[in-house]
Amino acid sequence: MLEYWPWWLGAVGLAAVSVLNFFLVGRLLGVSGSWAKIVGWKDDQERAAELKSLVEDRGDIEDALLAETLAEFGESSLEDLNDEPGIDAPTQSAAKPEQHTPWTVHLVFLLSMFVGGFLAAMVSGNFKFELTLSPIHSQIFGDDWEVWLALLFGGVMVGFGTQMAGGCTSGHGLSGCARLIPASLVATATFMSSAILLSFLMEATVR
Amino acid sequence: MRPVLKQYLFYGFLGLSMGFVVARIGFANYDELHRMFTFSDLRMLFSFAGAVVLSMLILAPFSKKIPRQQKFFQPGTIPGSMLFGFGWAISGACPSLVFVQLGSGKLAAILTLVGIYIGVLLHKKIHARYFRWDTGSCGV
Repeated sequence: MLEYWPWWLGAVGLAAVSVLNFFLVGRLLGVSGSWAKIVGWKDDQERAAELKSLVEDRGDIEDALLAETLAEFGESSLEDLNDEPGIDAPTQSAAKPEQHTPWTVHLVFLLSMFVGGFLAAMVSGNFKFELTLSPIHSQIFGDDWEVWLALLFGGVMVGFGTQMAGGCTSGHGLSGCARLIPASLVATATFMSSAILLSFLMEATVR
Repeated sequence: MRPVLKQYLFYGFLGLSMGFVVARIGFANYDELHRMFTFSDLRMLFSFAGAVVLSMLILAPFSKKIPRQQKFFQPGTIPGSMLFGFGWAISGACPSLVFVQLGSGKLAAILTLVGIYIGVLLHKKIHARYFRWDTGSCGV
């Protein structure tokens, strides 16, 4: 079994993914956003249909207005409208059709992570079918059914928490902190210290 | 090439490389993660911090081109992050790690996957009904 990468190689690899993400798709890495898109796939489809009909109905005056806005304020002026559903969103996507990323693309993104993890496990000889998570995890939570229950509830907390916080390890931790965004710095400090606190508490119950 | 096809290829490639890198660092291994959180092994913490610093340096010249992703304070930032932190310590998974765990054969992570799905769905419903504040979402 191969050892894990030394810390510096991990840092270079992770930074490469984060930087590549920006150069390939023009935005920063963020996985919980992809989750939101996939879980809300119906909204995404409705929005896409709405966009299409709006684009078809749109008159020349609006086109001219949009072009003026773009010329005057640049594309970043439209980025700010990104999250507001309704009237603003279609304008933005109509201006740059490739900006709309269908939910299926996000699904491919997440499923590729599974493949990447599988390849890494194969290459390093770490692949093994297991019904529990790890020795320490089982030590903390006990029997198999307790482990599974913990995973289910932990998963709900992760899903709900990341959506509520507006980001996760990649979005807030990696991308947000690399851009020194205050909300991301606070979020990262909060989830790291919460995880550290609970890990110490769990460690104490084992002994 | 059609823009949508390009998106599939790019996102697929990014997911693949991210899954691979994260797995080789050891993030998918709960024991390694637990040792990081209890400070008995700081290797992965250094990897993460190093990646943040490196990305910061490389991305700095392009700051004007990077779309602002509406990451601002909102009522959910702190309680949401706390909930996520506790969930991470319990399940060893963040929204990407769960796939990497599954990829390395940890079948139990299916429950985490189901849990995250329920959590995201629950937040969607509750947010639409009760919270209604503006959430800056992650890389939409």
